[in-house]
Amino acid sequence: MDSRSAKIDTGMSASFIASAVIHLAVFLLFVWWGEQFSPQMALQETYYVDVVDLPVTAPQAGEEIQKTDEPKTEVPQVQPLAPTPSPSEPVTKKGTKFLKPAAPQSTAESEAAFQERMAKLAEKNEAQQIDERINRISSKVKSKAASKAGTPGAGGAERGSRYSDYIKSRLEDALKITSYSTTQNPEIAVRITISAEGRLLRIKVERSSGDSAFELSVRRAIDLASQKFTAPPDNNVFENGFLFRPKGILNNSEQ
Amino acid sequence: MAIILGAGVVVKLVLLLLMSFSVVSWGIILFKFFQVQRAKSESERFMDFFWKSKRFDAIASQVDRFASSPLTVLFNEGYSELKKVVETDSKSDGNAISTDLGGVENVSRAMRRATNSEITRLEKYLTFLATTGSTSPFIGLFGTVWGIMTAFEGIGKTGSASLAVVAPGIAEALIATAIGLVAAIPAVMAYNHFQHKIRVLINEMDSFSTEFLNIVQRNIAGK
Repeated sequence: MDSRSAKIDTGMSASFIASAVIHLAVFLLFVWWGEQFSPQMALQETYYVDVVDLPVTAPQAGEEIQKTDEPKTEVPQVQPLAPTPSPSEPVTKKGTKFLKPAAPQSTAESEAAFQERMAKLAEKNEAQQIDERINRISSKVKSKAASKAGTPGAGGAERGSRYSDYIKSRLEDALKITSYSTTQNPEIAVRITISAEGRLLRIKVERSSGDSAFELSVRRAIDLASQKFTAPPDNNVFENGFLFRPKGILNNSEQ
Repeated sequence: MAIILGAGVVVKLVLLLLMSFSVVSWGIILFKFFQVQRAKSESERFMDFFWKSKRFDAIASQVDRFASSPLTVLFNEGYSELKKVVETDSKSDGNAISTDLGGVENVSRAMRRATNSEITRLEKYLTFLATTGSTSPFIGLFGTVWGIMTAFEGIGKTGSASLAVVAPGIAEALIATAIGLVAAIPAVMAYNHFQHKIRVLINEMDSFSTEFLNIVQRNIAGK
């Protein structure tokens, strides 16, 4: 009976070893399978959109046309502002009779001086803005020449683009509500694509510091903000990268 | 892979427990498979050999060739008991009829005892398969419930309920149930299979012992 039980034990341990080996093999097979097929799933998600153009002349996005209008509207505004000191005159007039002729003179003089000064300021401002515009246009022309030939217009993801700033501020507002992190200084670079109708098309995490809680809150912020996006100007698909940090969001488009 | 590594501690423990259940139950399945298979084939060969031989002592000298068959154990027990009975019979030399009947009964008892011990040997470890089959789905379910609980806690912290947030936690949790079922299904199938095979072997043992007792009784009565 001893030899029999000994035989049972050896058979038992052998089959246990075989079982463990089979399990290990199956496990490794699954790991291999996962590695083999998960990148394909990620690939399905990604597709590439051509660099988006936000034409500067579009009224919605263009600062150019709006800027040129601004000084013109500002100058007339100065004139209605000027008479405001005049209602103060009757008050002084009632108090002191002798100063009556002198007072209007001085106010008229100061009014004229004020108007002159304002006009000068406006002129100066206009000149400055024209200079700025020239600079910007020339730099844009330069950058366009430096970048891909054949891409029409300036890149919508450029620094001056109002729409990306708008999206950024929307995201910042949302992140204030959702921000939650477990590590010290988490940061996540996310590329966001918005359809011509203002619908969120795609979120792609390009780089992450590995804080899953913060990543979750960023996703939540994008979710929250995307409910209120307006459509990008000129019916273009908008795509831009943003660098999320707990303190705020950086426009990551230049990288 | 990431699903398992990303799961919580409790879910990981559950997965580890289920994996060890699965390893042990598969070890038992393999062991039992070979044991039952060998017992069956050697029993058949032993029965052939048994019916061809004329004498018990000739069989007894060859019986080691079929050591894996439960019938050889029965034969050994019955034969040694028979030898003892015959020895005492020849020593006492007195009233033969009463010892003859008592001798057959002795052999019968010895073979019944051997049958019982063989049944115990064949059914050993099968209870573990039954336990694995019935409990591991529940253990997996426990892991899933726990995982979903923690997932919901996480959702509450971030305040988001979009599918992208909810889905990974639930997928993590559901893998526990999946592993539980993976451990349970083969265990239940193997348990039923072995129960059937062992029942067949028990029938064989019973019929063999009646045959053996018939032969013994015939020989003693004819003496």
